[in-house]
Amino acid sequence: MNGFRLLLVAALVVAVAFLALPVVAIFLRVPPAQLVEQLADERARDALVVSLRTSLVAHALVVGVGTPAAYLLATRSFRGRSLVVSLLELPLVLPPAVAGLGLLAAFGRSGLLGRELDALGLQIPFTQLAVVLAICFVASPFYVRAAIAAFAAVDVDVVAAARTLGAGEARTFARVVLPLAAGGLGAGSTVAFARGLGEFGATIMFAGSLPGRTQTAPLAIYDALDEAFGVALALSALLVLLSVLVLVLSKVLPRWLRSLQSSPSRAATSTSP
Amino acid sequence: MTRRVTAVLATAAALAGCGGDGGREGRHLEVFAASSLRGVLEELEPAARFTYGGSDDLAAQIRDGAPADVFLSAAAAPLERLRRDGLVGAPRAFASNRLVLVVPPGRRDGPRDVAALARPGLKLVLGAPGVPVGDYARAALARARVDVAANVVSLEQDAKGVLGKVALGEADAGIVYATDARAARDEVRTLAIPERLQPRIRYLAAPVERGDTEAAAAFLDRLTGEGGATALRAAGFVGLRG
Repeated sequence: MNGFRLLLVAALVVAVAFLALPVVAIFLRVPPAQLVEQLADERARDALVVSLRTSLVAHALVVGVGTPAAYLLATRSFRGRSLVVSLLELPLVLPPAVAGLGLLAAFGRSGLLGRELDALGLQIPFTQLAVVLAICFVASPFYVRAAIAAFAAVDVDVVAAARTLGAGEARTFARVVLPLAAGGLGAGSTVAFARGLGEFGATIMFAGSLPGRTQTAPLAIYDALDEAFGVALALSALLVLLSVLVLVLSKVLPRWLRSLQSSPSRAATSTSP
Repeated sequence: MTRRVTAVLATAAALAGCGGDGGREGRHLEVFAASSLRGVLEELEPAARFTYGGSDDLAAQIRDGAPADVFLSAAAAPLERLRRDGLVGAPRAFASNRLVLVVPPGRRDGPRDVAALARPGLKLVLGAPGVPVGDYARAALARARVDVAANVVSLEQDAKGVLGKVALGEADAGIVYATDARAARDEVRTLAIPERLQPRIRYLAAPVERGDTEAAAAFLDRLTGEGGATALRAAGFVGLRG
């Protein structure tokens, strides 16, 4: 018993030390004042602007398309549903380099849709649109997965009650289901955003790397590693801080939203019995 | 990312080599060489372990303590920086290379020469600043007085990145070493760049001070001798000019 508990504690210590050490080491290697100074570097600023722009656009697309798609998958059962869910989750386990090559094979100039896109005057590789698509591809499963779980957890009786009270399907979705699922949606959304911000492999293959245009923060870190190590470290430190923020948000947001909505809705339901 | 992984792998390999027989006897010569030398020099020292990468990446690894005995760089700058800090011995030049233009195969309206790289809308891929193949390309373009700034769509970390994007047909042109283009001749079409535009490309080798300098010296003798010259010529490298 004692030996077993010791084993558990030892395993936890090893895990925490191993996972936290590299993150701590980034901050130990360069003093904070110097980190801030390095972030003023033109390259770092350009990369952050590209990263934020593309991540925000990609995120809007992911949430905009992912939310209704996940609602359908969570509330209807149909033939091939699990196949569809698996397909949507595939990018989660796909190596990023494979994702990049796949995007090129589909949307590249000599890719599957290359001629059609060209006819529309669209050449995607090497543009910010390519960065956005790469981010959407790798990040959307994180959101869709969380959204399906969040919608599935909504009490069907509450939905049914809204419908019998005369609310249409769309109105029920907007006024009842969305608020109830908001916590889970918010958590999935923040994790997907963080994954998109860190996207590297698919982006470097599909969009290339050009400062100010397609070079995102992770690509700039890779580029600066040899001759501008300080810039690479500073960008890394900033991404660590952003990741911590996202992680905290994804844990706090659901709880906060629940407490926010539980008070008025409980008051509303308590009047009925 | 890859450079860190190779550094770790190289360290692990060296540790394994040392641990095995506890001495220098069983230790392999560790050669850190520019990517463009891949597959060219293995025969010179079959027992050696070759780690390939961008010259500046390898220099950064050596600075970080990676266990190299010899460093073969595709440009002078990465080696000179190490030399200034006393990390490597005296460098010796051992080969030269040429730049070529690569274009996707089977495209009729593609560029035919360096001047055509300035054509509006052309998509050009080069090595990033600090990456020798990129710096050499910029030197050649400057000599040709061709302004391609608006056409560069990506700055890659090595020649492989440039070749890949051209081979896939996504970029219209790239500039790489003749030896890289030769190795990828099934994937890309190669166009010569005139002699007057060629920058002076020198491959330099130096023993790493912390490494086995004796074994390194023996390897460098073979590299700069007849054996090295033959292997380099066979791969398309050219002799040293002036």
